[in-house]
Amino acid sequence: MALREIAVLLFATGGSFFALSAAVGLVRLPDLYTRAHSASKGDTLGGLLTLTAVAIAFGGGLSTFKTFLLIVFMFLTNPTAVHAIVRAAHDQGIEPWTAEEEP
Amino acid sequence: MVEVASKRVLVPVSESPSLRNTVAYVVQRAVEGFQDGGRPTEVHFVYPVSQRVTFGEESAESIAAGELLDIVSVWAEEDVGENADAVEVKTSLIRSRDYLFSHRDYANALEVYARSNDIGLVVFDPEYYPAGTTPLLPTLEAEVRRAGVEVEEAPVQRERRGPVLVRRGNVGQFLALFGLSFLFYVLLSGSVEPTGVVTGAITGAVVAVSLWRVSLTAPIHPVRTARRLWRMLFYVPYLLWEIFKANLEIAYIVLHPDLPIDPQVVDFDAAVWSPLAATALANSITLTPGTLTVDITPQHFTIHTLTRKARTGLMAGGLERGVRFVFYGLAASRTASPAERLEQRGEDS
Repeated sequence: MALREIAVLLFATGGSFFALSAAVGLVRLPDLYTRAHSASKGDTLGGLLTLTAVAIAFGGGLSTFKTFLLIVFMFLTNPTAVHAIVRAAHDQGIEPWTAEEEP
Repeated sequence: MVEVASKRVLVPVSESPSLRNTVAYVVQRAVEGFQDGGRPTEVHFVYPVSQRVTFGEESAESIAAGELLDIVSVWAEEDVGENADAVEVKTSLIRSRDYLFSHRDYANALEVYARSNDIGLVVFDPEYYPAGTTPLLPTLEAEVRRAGVEVEEAPVQRERRGPVLVRRGNVGQFLALFGLSFLFYVLLSGSVEPTGVVTGAITGAVVAVSLWRVSLTAPIHPVRTARRLWRMLFYVPYLLWEIFKANLEIAYIVLHPDLPIDPQVVDFDAAVWSPLAATALANSITLTPGTLTVDITPQHFTIHTLTRKARTGLMAGGLERGVRFVFYGLAASRTASPAERLEQRGEDS
């Protein structure tokens, strides 16, 4: 197996792992705010690693560059979108869940 | 233009900033039509009540609507002035046996009223949104028009919402935007053939002409921007490393059987000044797992944190220092962390 294939495998596996953990978090966490954590961040790193794998698989050239641009835009838009959702929730007066509710 | 003067006109009203002007517009049109030799106009101001009304009972909505209609008729009389022959004002609550919910419900109610009173034209207040604004559905105007009644929107001033979008710009901004769009186009096309370059130049010009005063909010300082981009090269790996570390932690927490979270909202005043720097910091905070920017007023950040460790990390101020390094240089990055600033303030007071 070539070195490049190993790298692609590693990155793709890592990306899938973080995307999966984000999905698990989405199910397990208690409220909108905490779920937003999981859904946004896991996805960002998952996406980053997966797209890196894609870029390596393309092996340089224009396609790699475009994939790199995709990563950049994802890093700009992901946090902004999550912030918009969470701020809307905050404006609506939705109270965050806290651990103190338990006795 | 539709001849208002010879017809009966329906004007649905609700509390809106442009209602006063709409009333004035409708009355003025009617008066002018009458003076040009037309017949007097019957103007019906109506308020469709959205709740189902049981006979003999008044809801809070229908009382408020009645008061609004009284105000409207006073306004209309004021506008009619001495031309009392020209305009006959009628007000009415439209009560229905159904709840009014969608645009179509409202359109039906208006249509039924228009038909039973032989009204051929509905004039809308531009701010009349009884069923809210839902961009995907047909507008109320379109629904009424579909029902076969003529529709017009009163050409009165809307209130401006939010800050000004278009600002003053200079030639530098224009050229920068053009250059960026052009470069981006050529890079994406991946060739420097004449066709690509020419279409790229046209595209860049279109973008620059339409957006040069919108997308760049301040004049460009090429040297400063270059310096910031250069320092950004050092910040990005650091940010990536932080993201990676923190993501491992979140994955651990999420997959842990006990789900050891302790979410809390914290506030702090960040030591960044420009909107761009604040945005960069807010996005960095959101990207770093465990912390989520909820709200920013210019410098005051409201952050939702998932774990105690994420809170400590946030207050240690690593990201803030990084952003200050990118925007203001190395010297400015050596500053007290948010936690230390809080302590200092505690000692002072």
